Amino acid sequence: MAKRKTFPMLLSLLMLMSLLAACGNGGNKTAEPAKEAAAVQSDGTVDAAKLDPVTLKLYLIGPTPTDLPKVQDEMNKYLKEKLNTTLDISMIDWGDYTQRMQVITSSGENYDIAFTSAWAFDYLPNAAKGAFLPLNDLLGTYGKGITETIDPRFLEGSRVNGVNYAVPNQKELASQAVWRFNKKYVDKYKLDIDSVMTLESLEPLLKTIKENEPADITPLAVPKSFKPPLPFDFLIGDEIPIGMYLDTQDHKYVNALETPEFKQALDTMRKYYQAGYVREDIATLEGIDNMKTGKWLVDKEITQPYADLGWSRSAGYDIVSRPMQKPVIATGSAAGSMMAISSYSKNPERSMMFLNLLNTDPYLRNLIQYGIEDVHYKKLEGNYIEDLPAMQENYAMPGFALGNLFLTYLHEGDPEDKWAQFEEFNKSAVVAPTFGFNFDTAPVKTEVASVTNVAKEFIPVLFTGSVDPNEYLPKAQQKFKEAGIDRVIEEAQKQYDAWAAEQGK
Amino acid sequence: MAAFWKKVVRNRALLLLVLPGTAWFLIFAYLPMFGAVLAFKDFRISPDGFFASVLNSDWVGFKNFEYLFRTSDAYVITRNTILYNVAMIILGLISAVGFAVLLSELLNKRMAKVYQTGMFLPHFLSWVIISYFAFTFLSPDKGVLNQLAAYFGTDSVSWYSEPKYWPFIILFVGIWKGIGYNSVIYLAAITGIDKSYYEAATIDGARKWQQIRYITLPLLRPLMIILTILAIGGIFRSDFGLFYQLPKDSGALYPVTNVIDTFVYRGLMNMGDIGMSTAAGLYQSLVGLILILTANYIVRRIDRDQAIF
Repeated sequence: MAKRKTFPMLLSLLMLMSLLAACGNGGNKTAEPAKEAAAVQSDGTVDAAKLDPVTLKLYLIGPTPTDLPKVQDEMNKYLKEKLNTTLDISMIDWGDYTQRMQVITSSGENYDIAFTSAWAFDYLPNAAKGAFLPLNDLLGTYGKGITETIDPRFLEGSRVNGVNYAVPNQKELASQAVWRFNKKYVDKYKLDIDSVMTLESLEPLLKTIKENEPADITPLAVPKSFKPPLPFDFLIGDEIPIGMYLDTQDHKYVNALETPEFKQALDTMRKYYQAGYVREDIATLEGIDNMKTGKWLVDKEITQPYADLGWSRSAGYDIVSRPMQKPVIATGSAAGSMMAISSYSKNPERSMMFLNLLNTDPYLRNLIQYGIEDVHYKKLEGNYIEDLPAMQENYAMPGFALGNLFLTYLHEGDPEDKWAQFEEFNKSAVVAPTFGFNFDTAPVKTEVASVTNVAKEFIPVLFTGSVDPNEYLPKAQQKFKEAGIDRVIEEAQKQYDAWAAEQGK
Repeated sequence: MAAFWKKVVRNRALLLLVLPGTAWFLIFAYLPMFGAVLAFKDFRISPDGFFASVLNSDWVGFKNFEYLFRTSDAYVITRNTILYNVAMIILGLISAVGFAVLLSELLNKRMAKVYQTGMFLPHFLSWVIISYFAFTFLSPDKGVLNQLAAYFGTDSVSWYSEPKYWPFIILFVGIWKGIGYNSVIYLAAITGIDKSYYEAATIDGARKWQQIRYITLPLLRPLMIILTILAIGGIFRSDFGLFYQLPKDSGALYPVTNVIDTFVYRGLMNMGDIGMSTAAGLYQSLVGLILILTANYIVRRIDRDQAIF
């Protein structure tokens, strides 16, 4: 008797819950698409008078600044006038963002816009799962400003099977790794840093420091995640050793573990580890505080134009850098920082109008990043501003994650042509052979999960030189094979070939 | 029906007491059970909300379970999970009961409280903090142990890349953290034992050890059995922080520190695949259920009254 009663009871409870969930969804007002389209005028601007009032829910990455409500009010005043729209911004701290957004998305909360990227709230898997709305049509109707302003390669690189699921934030597109040097030691020993490019070419410099400086100066100050320069365009991040040579002729994905370049890099790192050029505890070193202590000669960083200035300014001592490789534009580089519209959004048209404005309107763009004039910053001559104490204390926002970076004000000491140099940098880059190809892992997700596990076990210990590659590399190769790396390569090749045929390459 | 309501009215006070617990279980334990269906689905988000997403996702059979079993790691993680847990249950039981008895025998009650609090404290520390405690001992260059080794002129050990020491380190730290909490439960039970048993025993000339052996331990037995059966149910789960934070996620230690939970975390963290994570959780729960039923069955064969059900 009791048994028979339990099930209907649970079922009715379940229905009650879904009813509650449905009620929860009803709160947000929906604007009709036809009305939204009618409000767009022939010159691309929006007639706010023809729009219904709408509130957009935004999720952005970073710690919540104290003055966010103040700035949000200011933005709403402006947006009300421009788009008859108000914003409700929530910020989630760096470390929590991915996980919280995963939960928010799975639970079906109808937010409108969220930050996404290749490294937080991952763009590709979430686009594949259906978390984001396809934007091609919306971009055509409401996002003309975006397509006109930003480097077309951003949109090209973030397409998945021809569909854009997010609006990339225009910033540096190419990525270039550099060796950074602590200038104090370069000057002291008159080190020749101009001839440095490869990992091997660092050796004489590291040796000089090791022999002449006390033991607490780390010659090569890199953490566990360090990867030496390798000539590959990696398929799923640089932890998983599947890639295509950047100067490939046959356009084939290879198992990087089996290449001579890989072996050589591992042997060199082993030598450096044994010689004491890296920290002894490197295998467990999640992060490294060399910038703060100043007790280091060289480390690795991703650069952008005039980066040396910024690094020196934040470190408080001089830092110079030399390239490790040419700037490269790969598929992932376009996905460094983007804004997606949720597939649960009730107002996708208005969301796109807002994104369009954020990427083209300097007033709005600077407001969201730097706050209110004369409260958070003081306007200087031209495009320059000076931070007021209120900015550092109450309104620090991650500028690169908030839309078109090229519209933002400059700080004292920044060269006038900063953003022009960024554009130049983007133009000068080598385009990777796989640029625009996005790998859909769904058909091989079992193998990818297994391969990821093996990579976590072997890649950091090998690349930091903490174990002997002659013993561990064959072990790793065997385990990757067992986990199905060949199957992943095969699938990637199949998808790549199909994509290349479509592109006419 | 009328008889049913009559019963309800008669027991209203008791039912009211049980209500919050029931509600908690329904919402957080029974309701989410329907989510287990996701283990057999390729979860895709549908714009109509969570329930629509669940219904509209395609069935994929056992495909979500495959990655748990396809590599030789399947053996390693299962072995590690089970052996560590078995060792933890046995050593944990002995040490918790042992310390509870010791504490109850202390004559200075004030000092007993001090020791108890001191032992309880690690329970409140997060694994991240404990991993740094351990690091101050084990760090290869500045760690206490290697400094001592240098002082005595022996070779220093690269602790985070030598798997052979870690089974002991993990068991030691795991028990150290849990001992205060577990012994308090037994201590409470000992306090509840009728003092007249001991008085009678003393009059009969029983020594301390005999009192413990013939009074305290037999009276603690039901509690030990219940707690052990419950712990056996969790044998396929492990304390994530102990196995992930404490070894500082060092790849060289995976052969002895990789357990089902860390394996699943590492494989799926970046993918965020709900179907595969659910599959792992369901697998752990299912094996846990089987183990609980088996343990209970065995207990019942030995002593009917001690079994939970």
